[in-house]
Amino acid sequence: MNKEIVKISIVMFIAFFTCTISAQRKKRIANKDTQEWRYDIECEGIAKQGSKLVKVWSYSKNPKFAIGQAMKNAVHGIIFKGYAGGGNGCTPFKPLARNVTAEKEHEAFFKSFFSDGGEFRKYVTAAADGNIAPGDRLKVSKREYKIGVVVNVATDQLRKRLESEGIVKALNAGF
Amino acid sequence: MKKNIISLIAIFVVTITVSFGQAKKPTLMVVPSDVWCNQNGYMLSFDNQGTEVKVPDYKRAFQENAEVLQVISQINGMMAERGFPLKNMESAIKTLESNAAEDNMRSSKDTGSGVSESPIDALKKVAKADIIMQLTWTVNRTGPKKSITFNLQGLDAYTDKQIATATGTGAPSFSAEVPVLLSEAVLSHMDNFTSSLQTHFDDMFANGREIIVRIQKWDDWDGDLETEYGDDDEELGVIIEDWLADNAVKGRFNTTDMTEDMALFEQVRIPLFNEKGRAIDARRFVKGLSKMLKSEPYEIPNKLVMKGLGRATIILGGK
Repeated sequence: MNKEIVKISIVMFIAFFTCTISAQRKKRIANKDTQEWRYDIECEGIAKQGSKLVKVWSYSKNPKFAIGQAMKNAVHGIIFKGYAGGGNGCTPFKPLARNVTAEKEHEAFFKSFFSDGGEFRKYVTAAADGNIAPGDRLKVSKREYKIGVVVNVATDQLRKRLESEGIVKALNAGF
Repeated sequence: MKKNIISLIAIFVVTITVSFGQAKKPTLMVVPSDVWCNQNGYMLSFDNQGTEVKVPDYKRAFQENAEVLQVISQINGMMAERGFPLKNMESAIKTLESNAAEDNMRSSKDTGSGVSESPIDALKKVAKADIIMQLTWTVNRTGPKKSITFNLQGLDAYTDKQIATATGTGAPSFSAEVPVLLSEAVLSHMDNFTSSLQTHFDDMFANGREIIVRIQKWDDWDGDLETEYGDDDEELGVIIEDWLADNAVKGRFNTTDMTEDMALFEQVRIPLFNEKGRAIDARRFVKGLSKMLKSEPYEIPNKLVMKGLGRATIILGGK
């Protein structure tokens, strides 16, 4: 009887350990995708003053991780990519950092800013409670998903933070 | 001891930079465009020797149209958030009126004389800013659908150049009211406007402020811009061009017009600070030319008049 319990415990432990490692590995892969900034960003509509409502398409092998990475990607997109206009009254948006080398020049700041649980989280919230519309979950290859998540980025606050770091120039700088 | 001296020098340099490191800040004001005023019936008409002339009636527009106030208020708020509070045109008009009333009533306690005002002073008493944000919107209706075409132009009041812009048509809506659509239009376009304004400021800091310089002469002056001076008999017009080439940033300016009586120089790029580190505008820059013309060998008395940060005129032959 005791032997049975020990066997079951060992099997359960191995199963749990494997799952944890697998989850960590998937998260690492998702993080790697994010570090390469592999995503698309588009305007989703007119948000309230000082914010932008965007849909971020992130790529991941596990849809669960894509949602988490979408927030990081959204903030990155607002700072470095911008987006073209489109429907829903959207107008084109130029990235906050006008200097194309800003990311390299302030590498240390952005590394900590975009780390897991980093400061970027202050400037982004999930719209629609983080729910994903059925049409926004696309399987692009055998093992990869493209997930569209709608998030709200507090662009005014983000811009002020970057201005305080000297990464973005304020409109009234020099006057 | 050495460390103390270095610290003192560092503090001195920082103080100098903080004291003199700020360029002259342009003023901005939102003005409804002539097209908007005309479409909404806010125009004054008068007969100018047989030709009907229409001018915008801003005062009536601000008194009667709540939408224009809403849009201007929202733009003002968003610009203030970016560290650029705007001049409010409605308040500027009211201040001008109250100042005019006060000036009319004012008299000296000793002699009873009124406040001196030349016809030019009277002409200059208008609401003005260095950068005009010209605002136009139209409400498009297709059946029950409504949309807003919004156009905000940033115009340099001196060079007449459009230095910033944001324009586009919003998404059509069946149910939203016009004020809601207007609010959405402002929200969606202001970032583009400030972004293009930032590009203009970046260019200004890199290449200097762009101004206009005019040279004119009084009727009774016996010289003109073709009068020759110096050993090499150089014409005055060319001497002035040489001064501009020496003093403009990277020698950049265009001679747009040059006759014996007048000269017009456009796209003159002036430094934002003088050699003392003080912020300068068109008047302070052209003051150097005025001084040179007054001194030997030219000895031309002249009058320097200015218009805001970006336009200066020298009238040769007297004050």
